[in-house]
Order: sequence, then structure tokens, then C-alpha cells
Amino acid sequence: MTELFGFWWEWLPTLLSGLQLSLAVTAVALLFGIPLGLILALGVQSKRAVWHVLSLFIIETGRGAPALILLQFTYFGLPSAGIALSSFVSASLALAWCTGAYTSEIIRAGLDAVPHGQKEAAAAIGLTDWDALYFVILPLALRVSVPPLFGFAILMLQASSLCFAIALPELVSQAYVIGSNTFQYMQILLLAGLLYAVICIPATIAVAALEARLGRHTD
Amino acid sequence: MSDSTAIRRGEPLLRLAAVHKRFGTHEVLSGIDLRVSAGEVVAIIGPSGSGKSTLLRCINQLEPPTEGRVLLGGVAVEAGQELSRAELTQLRRSVGMVFQSFNLFPHLTVLRNVSLAQERVIGRSRKEADAVSMQLLSRVGLADKAQQYPGRCSGGQQQRIAIARALALDPKLMLFDEPTSALDPELGLEVLAVMRELAENGMTMIVVTHEMHFAESVSDRVIVMADGRIIEEGPSAEVMRNPKTERAKRFLQAVNDR
Ligand SMILES: Nc1ncnc2c1ncn2[C@@H]1O[C@H](COP(=O)(O)OP(=O)(O)O)[C@@H](O)[C@H]1O
Ligand SMILES: [Mg+2]
Repeated sequence: MTELFGFWWEWLPTLLSGLQLSLAVTAVALLFGIPLGLILALGVQSKRAVWHVLSLFIIETGRGAPALILLQFTYFGLPSAGIALSSFVSASLALAWCTGAYTSEIIRAGLDAVPHGQKEAAAAIGLTDWDALYFVILPLALRVSVPPLFGFAILMLQASSLCFAIALPELVSQAYVIGSNTFQYMQILLLAGLLYAVICIPATIAVAALEARLGRHTD
Repeated sequence: MSDSTAIRRGEPLLRLAAVHKRFGTHEVLSGIDLRVSAGEVVAIIGPSGSGKSTLLRCINQLEPPTEGRVLLGGVAVEAGQELSRAELTQLRRSVGMVFQSFNLFPHLTVLRNVSLAQERVIGRSRKEADAVSMQLLSRVGLADKAQQYPGRCSGGQQQRIAIARALALDPKLMLFDEPTSALDPELGLEVLAVMRELAENGMTMIVVTHEMHFAESVSDRVIVMADGRIIEEGPSAEVMRNPKTERAKRFLQAVNDR
């Protein structure tokens, strides 16, 4: 047992630096992906055919293709089109794409949940469509969407482990490197799993609490 | 309160000419002609599904008519005509609307509910808008609720706030769609009192209602609708006591028997 703890203690700093990168790539993916999700949610509802089709295309590819394929596409595929990106930028791009596609559904469900009377009232008092969206509809929609968005963010942190496939030295990649150097795969992967759990379990509890809180004040 | 295009009492304010509204193949309004003068209070009664709400929505273009013409304060809108943003804003400014289900914004304070359009639509400063809103809230007897959220107010209070919100852009015409139908009778009374006060102060109003006493005592004129048409129209007492058409008789009988 003390042997295991000693091993963990030795490699913890390396894993933490990996975790930092996992968190960073997840954060960037969400920062760009969620606004993209909003744009896509509005885009699919657009009466303009171009916006509708373009949004649908981005959503369907983002949801249809496994995240691993998106990662490999942005890292190995784009260079053949003359766009070479670092593993961090490729990973952010692929995960933002995936985030945009999935969160557009979450946001659309939120928008649909806003009672029609709210849109009518906003129009009747003379607000433009954009003002109605910004001041009335989005704030109400987000009350519905925020808990599942946080839930999605937790899944995204876990999905960022796929970035080991494009040589991004995030948490799981670091664990593999340590494992192959020490042959103690089991022990190091256990520690990596614990690190994910330390973040994801409290986050999940916090999301549930938030959900209860927002639910209470709806209307 | 008034601007340069102010319309004096008794002058024509609203005119609907041969207004039709279809949803798909379902014709909900079948040729509505209606004139309303400034300062007039018109009650619309009729069985549910007869097109009363749709008629109100056609007036402020929440539902654009499929045929016909709506003239408001000298500005005509033809069916099928694409309104510019400025024209639509002008129209929505001149017409206030109160809904059966209040439709207050639940995430905004009572004050903000009343101030929002003043800031966004007519560019009043926050301070100016809030001052006007406080006056309006006092007028409906709810200045003390300014900082609360609508969810904390009773139904009657919410509807009075909704009236204040609809008045915030100094409309020439107020539309009420069954404003007391969702309320207990006592709470309905406080809403009717506010509407009575508005009527006495010369506001032009079109009120869809099942409150026969209100229709008779406050409105100048009653319109009876059935199946997307106006089947009877005239001075309140006359229409309510001596309906001419069989359909109107049956409807009034049914209402009185309740
Ligand atoms: N947006 C809509 N789409 C389709 N049908 C509608 C719509 N709004 C109203 N209707 C139909 O129009 C008819 C009249 O409705 P409405 O104007 O609400 O009547 P009232 O207010 O007199 O009860 C009803 O049959 C209703 O189902
Ligand atoms: Mg109705």
C-alpha cells in the first residue's frame, strides 16, 4: 500500500500537468462550442435556406461522427488541405465542433420550452426579434438549458481523454507514457481515474443542486 | 401623453375593411368590417372559437390578415404588405395589448417589465423609463410591488401590471383579450376597476370579454361575433337586451343562464 502511494506521489505532478491540459482544452472547446451551439440552434430555425442547411450540416456531422474521428480529421486530415494545426488547436476545434452540435440540441429544447405567450408579449410591446431574444427568450431558455449544459461539460472533460490519439499530452496520454516507462499501467490509470472523479463527482452534485434551484424559481 | 399626431375624441381611429384570416384552409375571420373612434370603448362577445382573439391579433399584426385592410390613425396596412421594422414598431407603439394569461416576463422585476420597452423601443433612459413606470404602477395601485418579481404577485396584480406595461408607450388604442377570464371573481374586479378608470379617462379600448356587466356598463358599443363574422353590433344596452339575430339571442341566453 505504501508502495502504491509512494509511486503515486512520484508521478502526481506529471499527471496534474496533464489534467491541467485536459481542463484547458475542455474549457476552450466549451467557450467556443456553446456560443456555436446557440448560433446553430437559431440557424436550424432560420427561414433562410442557406442558414438552415449549413447549421444542419454542422450539427449532423458533429453528432454523427465519433469525436475520435473529428479529432483525427482536424489533426491528420486538415494538413492535407494545407491547414496544419498544433494538437492543442486541433483538439479545441474538434471538441468545439462536437460541443456546438450537441449543445445546439440542448439550447433548442430550452428555446422551445419558452411559452409562446412570452414571445407574443415581447412582440406586442414593440421589441425587435433580437431584443425579444436577448431580453426575454434567451434568459428563460437558459434556465432550462443550463443544467444539461453543465452536464454536457462534465462529459466533455471525460471525452477530452480521446485527445491522446492526436498526441496531446493531456491526463490520459501522460498516464500512458508513465505506464509504458514503469510498466505499472494499472496503478497509474487508477490514479488518473481518481483525478477525473475528484472533479466530476462534485461537479455532478453541484449540477443537480443547480437544477433543483433553477426549477424552483421557474415562473 | 400625446404627440403631434394626437387624435381628438370622436375622430376615426381604427378601421378594418374586409379582413379575412385563414390558417391553412381554415377560415377563422370571414370579412370583418369595423370602425372605432377615438375615446370609444367597444366590447366583443361571442362563443369561443368565433375568432375574437384572432381579430385582436390582426389589429396589431401579431397575426397578419390574409386579406383586407387595417387602418390605424391614418396609417393603412394591406394584407400581404411587408411592413418595415420602423412601421411595425410604430404600429406596436400605438397599440397596447393585454392577454388573458398576463404574459409578464417572470425573470424581470415588475418595474423592469414596465420599463423594458420604453428603453428599447423609444430610447428613454433607464431613469426616465423607471420614473414613468412608477407613475403607471401607482395608477394601477401597485407602486409597492415595483421591486418584486411577477411570480410573487396575485393574478389580479399581475394583470394590472400587464396593463401598466401595455400603457408604457402611450398607446392610442388598448386591446384586452379576456383580461379577467383567468382570475377569481374578486381579483377580476380590481382589474375591471383599472379598465373602468382608463375608459373614463378617454382611452380607446377594444375588450373581448365574458363580463356582461362590464360590457353593458362600461362599453359604448357591443359587437357579437360568431363563426368569424360580426353578427350583431350596436349600443351596449340595445344589443344585450334586445338582440336581433337568433344566434346572438342563443349566445346571450347561454351566458345569462350560467
Ligand atoms: N395560430 C393558429 N393556427 C391555427 N388555428 C388557429 C390559430 N389561432 C387560432 N386558430 C383557430 O381559429 C379559431 C378562432 O380562434 P380564436 O380567435 O382564438 O377564437 P376566440 O378567441 O373567439 O375563442 C379557432 O378554431 C382556433 O382553433
Ligand atoms: Mg380567445
